Amino acid sequence: MALMERTQEILKGLYDAVVVYDEVASAELSKAALEEGVDAYDAVRNGLAAGMEKVGQLYANQEYFVPELLLCADALYAGLEILKPHIGVRRQEIRLKIVIGTVEGDIHDIGKNLVKLMFDAAGWIVYDLGKDVKIERFAEEQEKTNSDVVALSALMSTSMLAIPKIIKIIKARNPNVAIMAGGAPLTRDIAKLYGADGYASNAGEAVQEAVSMIARMKWIQAK
Amino acid sequence: MERLNSLLSGQRPDRVPLYHFLLGFCAKNVGYPISSMYSDPEKSFMAQLWTFEQYGIDGGPDFGYASYGGWEFGGEIKFPNGEWEQAPSHGSFAVQSEEDVEKIRLPDVTKSGMLPLAMEFSKLQDKFGTPISIVLGGNFTIAGNICPVETLCRWMIKKPEVAHRLLRFATDHILEVIQYWVDTFGAERVIPNIWEPLSSNQIISPKHFDIFVLPYLKESSEKILDMGIKHIYYHICGEQNLNLPHWAQVPMGDPGIVSIGHQVDLSTAINYFGDKSIIVGNVDPAFIQNGTPQQVYELCKQCIEKAKYAPRGYMLMSGCEVPPMSPPYNMYMMQTAIKDFGWYD
Repeated sequence: MALMERTQEILKGLYDAVVVYDEVASAELSKAALEEGVDAYDAVRNGLAAGMEKVGQLYANQEYFVPELLLCADALYAGLEILKPHIGVRRQEIRLKIVIGTVEGDIHDIGKNLVKLMFDAAGWIVYDLGKDVKIERFAEEQEKTNSDVVALSALMSTSMLAIPKIIKIIKARNPNVAIMAGGAPLTRDIAKLYGADGYASNAGEAVQEAVSMIARMKWIQAK
Repeated sequence: MERLNSLLSGQRPDRVPLYHFLLGFCAKNVGYPISSMYSDPEKSFMAQLWTFEQYGIDGGPDFGYASYGGWEFGGEIKFPNGEWEQAPSHGSFAVQSEEDVEKIRLPDVTKSGMLPLAMEFSKLQDKFGTPISIVLGGNFTIAGNICPVETLCRWMIKKPEVAHRLLRFATDHILEVIQYWVDTFGAERVIPNIWEPLSSNQIISPKHFDIFVLPYLKESSEKILDMGIKHIYYHICGEQNLNLPHWAQVPMGDPGIVSIGHQVDLSTAINYFGDKSIIVGNVDPAFIQNGTPQQVYELCKQCIEKAKYAPRGYMLMSGCEVPPMSPPYNMYMMQTAIKDFGWYD
């Protein structure tokens, strides 16, 4: 077991590696964490994922943009690949689940992929349906996985029209699942008009919005 | 054409022109499939011409789409099909790796991709006396259509020399295409339309714009104007606020024409471009599709009141393509707002 000081050093190193998108450092420190007895879950949660939360803030503040985010994600996954197999089952907290995809007719997925990685980094179980996803698939996958959230992405004004149809199908089958929508042509008002429970204007805000959305829905259901 | 020609010659027209970014909407308006706007030059031209006549839209038809460059450089595109698709999209990319970049060559502009269709379209523009536009992606957008834009983004940081190589290809290609149009129709008739969505701040930082976009934009703009072309139309798409100081350095003609998305305030656009360019825009297309007629009317009124007296002129337009499924009455509201607020004393 590593000494407290060395553990903190490794966690800080992992955090920094993600923030400065240093894939090599992320992989090396992840290996060092295992070799020196740092708890793998701790390294992921308080090292890599914490770094990615910082990256999300930088992105929301327009200090980082898509190129930086993509490379930060590469650094994150370089470490995750090494550490994940070593996370003990007993350390795995109950993880929220999300189904995510770009709606039918739309092949744009940069935004969706950025949102996906933020949920990945935050420890959610992510079921990524990809792009140009047929309308019915979202409800089918939500039922199959019993996901807590469905996230719908659209970049085109025409494809966004599929969103209310998708939401209607999902809610008919499971009124309690939280649905969020996002993408360039959407606003919070339009998402609400379409029947979504939540909306995020960028990937940096998506996880927080999902958590808030679930809390809001649970509160409404409890009333 | 009179109002547009007035502005281009430095005169104030009788009223604010109602300009256009309408493709799929025109197809649906006249009963054609949306794909025909991109695959059938004659149908595309006539659908736009009839729709412009119906709604009192100034200017002439255009032919193009945002994924330009992918097909021309050897990738594949998919024409829109089905209820939810409005424009050609990428089927496959010509470039996926650094090795692929070494293999690409400049396309033959007489034969590649959509260019033969675009030339057929421009011959219709010539025949009907409308402006001869050739719609191209901007340098960065073409580069981001030759390879997946995420790949380009990664190269910008990890392998900048590869990104620059793609941008060089894109720039040389733009110049070859426009030269071909100039050789065919004469420089006086051609107004290149250059759409640059991928360089928005939704994708890249202003720092990266300065390194990977601005030098190429300036180069191609200067060379285009050196061909004898008088006006370049730039559609500066999306969230571009942080890039505006860079865009303001790009020569666009006398006057140039700058259309902006709803994300950039018209007053801001006038500050950056108003002394040299006609300003065009910028009603949010999502409102044209989803809003009430009253909301659309009010947005148009606000735009007109803000920009009507821009120094080199102003044209009302949507901030990006009018969604094909927009209620026709909302388009009518744009015309109504022009008639109510757009007249000059």
